[in-house]
Amino acid sequence: MGKAINNGLRLAAVASAGALLLAACGGGSSESSSAAGSAGASAGAGDSGAAAADGGQKGGTITMLTNAEQWQHVDPQRMYTGADIAFFTGYTTRTLTQYKYAAGADGTQLVADLATDTGTANSDATQWSFTIRDGASFEDGTPVTCADVKYGVSRTFAQDVITDGPTYAISYLDIPKGDDGSSTYKGPYSTDAANDVASFDKAVTCSSDGKTITFNLNRSVADFNYTVTLPAFSPVPQAKDTGETYDDAVVSTGPYKISEYTKGQKMTLVRNENWDPASDDYHPAYPDEIDVLFAQDPAAIDQRLIADAPEDQATIAYGNLQPENLATVFTAGDPRFEGRTYNDYDPYVRYTAINTQLVPNLKQRQAIVACMNNAEYIAARGGDFAGDRADGVVKPTLPLDYAPTGLWDGMYGDTIPVEGNVELGKKLIAESGEPMKPLTYQFPTNPVDEKIAASMKSALARCDITVNLEPIEPGQYYGIVFDPKQAKELMRSGWAPDWLNASTILPELFGATGGFNLSQVQDDQFNAQVQDALNTLDRTEQGKKWQELNKYAAEQAWVIPHLFGKAQALWGSKIGNGYLWFPYGSLAFGDLYVMQ
Amino acid sequence: MTAYVIRRILIGLMILVLLSMAVFLLFDLLPADPAALTCGKNCTPEIIEINRVRLGLDLPLWQQYIEFVKGLFAGRTYGSGTAAFTCAAPCLGYSFRKGEEVTPLILEALPVTIYLAVGAFVVWITAGVLLGIFAALRRGRWQEKVTLGGALVGYSFPSFFIGLLLLFFVVIRWRLLPYPSYVPPTEDPVRFLQTMILPWITLALVFAAFYIRLTRNQMLETLSEDYIRTARSKGLPERTVIGKHGLRAGLTPIVTAAGLDLAGLLGGAIIVESVFSLPGLGRLAITSVLDSDLSIIVATVLVAGSFIVIANIVVDLLYAVIDPRVRLT
Amino acid sequence: MTTDVVTAAEPAAAPQVAGLSLRQLAWRRLKRDKAAMFAMWLLIFIFGTAILAPLITNLLGVNPYDFDLTVLDPSQGSLPAGAWGGISLEHPLGVEPLTGRDLLARLLFGARVSLLIAISAVAIIAIVGTTIGIVAGYKGGWIDTLIGRLTDLILAFPLILMLIALSPVLTQRLQAMGMSPEDSRVVYLIIVFAFFGWPYLARLIRGQVLSLREREFVEAAVASGAPTRRILFREVLPNLWAPIIVYVTISIPTIIASEAALSYLGVGIIEPTPSWGKMLADSVRYFAVVPTYLFIPGTALFIVVYAFNIFGDAVRDALDPRTGRNAR
Repeated sequence: MGKAINNGLRLAAVASAGALLLAACGGGSSESSSAAGSAGASAGAGDSGAAAADGGQKGGTITMLTNAEQWQHVDPQRMYTGADIAFFTGYTTRTLTQYKYAAGADGTQLVADLATDTGTANSDATQWSFTIRDGASFEDGTPVTCADVKYGVSRTFAQDVITDGPTYAISYLDIPKGDDGSSTYKGPYSTDAANDVASFDKAVTCSSDGKTITFNLNRSVADFNYTVTLPAFSPVPQAKDTGETYDDAVVSTGPYKISEYTKGQKMTLVRNENWDPASDDYHPAYPDEIDVLFAQDPAAIDQRLIADAPEDQATIAYGNLQPENLATVFTAGDPRFEGRTYNDYDPYVRYTAINTQLVPNLKQRQAIVACMNNAEYIAARGGDFAGDRADGVVKPTLPLDYAPTGLWDGMYGDTIPVEGNVELGKKLIAESGEPMKPLTYQFPTNPVDEKIAASMKSALARCDITVNLEPIEPGQYYGIVFDPKQAKELMRSGWAPDWLNASTILPELFGATGGFNLSQVQDDQFNAQVQDALNTLDRTEQGKKWQELNKYAAEQAWVIPHLFGKAQALWGSKIGNGYLWFPYGSLAFGDLYVMQ
Repeated sequence: MTAYVIRRILIGLMILVLLSMAVFLLFDLLPADPAALTCGKNCTPEIIEINRVRLGLDLPLWQQYIEFVKGLFAGRTYGSGTAAFTCAAPCLGYSFRKGEEVTPLILEALPVTIYLAVGAFVVWITAGVLLGIFAALRRGRWQEKVTLGGALVGYSFPSFFIGLLLLFFVVIRWRLLPYPSYVPPTEDPVRFLQTMILPWITLALVFAAFYIRLTRNQMLETLSEDYIRTARSKGLPERTVIGKHGLRAGLTPIVTAAGLDLAGLLGGAIIVESVFSLPGLGRLAITSVLDSDLSIIVATVLVAGSFIVIANIVVDLLYAVIDPRVRLT
Repeated sequence: MTTDVVTAAEPAAAPQVAGLSLRQLAWRRLKRDKAAMFAMWLLIFIFGTAILAPLITNLLGVNPYDFDLTVLDPSQGSLPAGAWGGISLEHPLGVEPLTGRDLLARLLFGARVSLLIAISAVAIIAIVGTTIGIVAGYKGGWIDTLIGRLTDLILAFPLILMLIALSPVLTQRLQAMGMSPEDSRVVYLIIVFAFFGWPYLARLIRGQVLSLREREFVEAAVASGAPTRRILFREVLPNLWAPIIVYVTISIPTIIASEAALSYLGVGIIEPTPSWGKMLADSVRYFAVVPTYLFIPGTALFIVVYAFNIFGDAVRDALDPRTGRNAR
């Protein structure tokens, strides 16, 4: 439940870190995912966007309750939380492509939104073009051109102002890097004469009719059309851009616009009269209004949804059910909750990062993994509702990239049951050739992570490993664990892919340029293989390489894998089209309607 | 008297200045680098340095403090170039985490807290003082025992426990009220009252218990004083004795406590605001603390502190008016 | 609730009583008060079980730290298996949801922590507050002004807000000094409760001393040329026992309740240390599904606070019979 209060780190990680403002809030339920996408990333198929007009009804007001005080970001270039992306792409922010509104695997299918199709690539996928649909416009009626998309993309480069957003534009676009590794282009706000605007203009071109935008990439990216599902690649009108404060003055391109946004209280979305349904096959735009009520107590949100009083029947929650209410809601055959819940795999893998700089000894890292008691971990995350024990950082929901790693089946010399293998752990420590130093486990304070910390301490104590606990205020969590001076041996973490390709997992978590390398891995062999995998354009071949790398990561014990997570949600009885939208691990907000 | 008032106000101002300095100093001790907290995953040392300058965190602490005070009275400008913006006076700072100026955030939260505190205050003072006098007048009888016993029970319950019990029974079990969801009274007075009634009762229950005991003890204390006995022996009617002499002298600590309690609540009734999801100052404060949003923490502490300082001045002045025994020192 | 400690101001000044010493008289009166005696024995019992907690849990074969997954129902989201929060012979008060830890053991060990914090903080408050209050009240002049301003300054801090805001600052400083995170929270709570608690007592004492200074017996002692120290210890201090003891007895429960409140807000005691406040904060979420989990620590907390309050009242009445319920 709740917002991702992190420092703009992405995804899952963010997820449970943030959230828990109040002790009453349930631990693991706070999810902010990032996108995930479809597997078979076929380049440039012309599948036009299809609204899931499966009997939805127009009209009514949907109310969304959230524990968060405000949106982390409304600014499309700064938005990087799964449910937030699902929300705003459903209502106000049109992206070039997006995922289909559908439950299950269909929901990972790529469709066009602002673009006429899902993009066209050249033969080696280093150049991608998208054509803007006719009739698309901003909320003031100005037509959307490729120049607006280009301007939007340029904002990502202003890293001092446009913080927290994804940086794929910087890593993929063909713009030189300076000595310090940062781009020579510094975004549209820079007044520095040395700002490399020319390179950006070459990397992103806009056709003279204002319709076609072309991205020139510095390497092959076979699934770049999935990358542009991120709102970071959506248009922003330069004339209306206020930089830092654009977060509060976002100009809509979708079927709704923001009529009120009072942080800590309320956001109201109303119909955007300048949105032309003829220009948009993607958004069904059912309700007349969407109200977001901030700062609601998590327990209260659940109670309101459970009670389903008449005034709450068109109400949804941002985030998942609190663990304590799962038993109530999912009691088999209870008609009160029929058809208004989901209980399904989300995009997350939960793990504990092992800092390889502080625990350089491989055997000792393996000992830590062997001693972990994942049975207690799973119990503390809600038993059967938690999910399954993970065997690596790639989830089976990425069918091309996942294969069992065999971590628990003798990889370290003996099988490791879910309770852990104490003998193996002790043996590995003995083989490590040096005494095991006391470890410190860092975690954000919230009721569930605290219990897991207690479990970690007693589980590792079985192998005579001393664990000190270091709880961190959620808001400071990533600020501290990403500071090499303050990071300790063990760190609570979690991750979801940005789209359905392990290229948004393995390199991010362990790679040389990885944005989420909590384990502080520096492994040249691994990096070389990552490059090789990235350069493999055949998606199935690439998947096999990710499988190998995932296995290698497990062997190296860079993390303690815990859980392939599940998510549970409940909504009011008059809400239609409620389902887990897999790409973002949340409701498909834009597809919801009010039953009249 | 005037000299006393002026001096008291000057001292209050001095305390406010000291308070603001102390707050600055305390939070400078935070181990996490506040500049590092302003940017996310893509943080490079370069960006942190840029943000440090934009936030003014590169300046020595005393200069940051002067900047802050300047912002309060004259406004200040953050950053430079096209991304620069001005924060108009009274500027309590800028939250880079929320991307908003702090002053409007506080001004949005303040009315909620004022409604909560003042509403509860009216209930508990009325109930507390009346029941306290009642108990004092019935001393030794069962009415006193019941009143005091009840007060002690109420006083012994943690406030969040009462709040949650009320929420659970009144709203969830019995469905007597809709779920609390704050709306300003100007927008929907009925919904406003439905939302505020339980928080008022919660706060009032806890505080009233204390005021019953305090009032009763004060009454008994003063009623046994010599001058009351004198008044009685002079044959003044009991009502005059109690109302004019007893209550007046006994009021001093009640006024003190009431003034300070109200001021404390105006700084944010954190727990009750949390239990009932009221978007007041207390909630703003706790979320900022958990968010490590320094600029908002500093501002809320200062605002809350100002209420307490002002209340102290008012209470001291009332002291002099109410209790003739107190010397103006 | 921002007033926890403020509310403890209870003025009282007892005159010297001829014959029996004040303490003997008070004890006599206290012994006659059945409710107070009951509260006292109850508190002694609670202290006893808290001190003997390791022994008791050993006898019962439970401990507050070990997870027990066999008593949880995974299909119910790890709620305790069985009715009444998993109450059974092995777990007389049931088990904690999500972990299966024994609630009786956690309750007993939690009492140790809560009482340790409250009593340590109150001891510091009593010593510091009394000393400073006496100095300010008796010396007067610039010392009084200085102390007055200092207490004004500390009292101007919004209490709960400061407790919360300072938590990361202070605990991380304490940890930098080599303290474990669990211990640092306990020490932190003691420090802040003491730091923000003493000014109230100091003010109270100062007021008492001010009015005592005016009283005949003190004026007489001053007139007779007695040295300051003698006046303070012989004439003034004995008359301050009443407010100090009363303040202490009613501060303990407010601190226990404040600790619970801080834990409710997520900045109090941390795992794996058991604490009543933490248990309550956790249990609030299970109110609808496992009510016993809320009611057991809630009732325990209420009983302790209530017993302290009854006892504190009775002590006050006994020390200062004029306002007691048996007055006249």
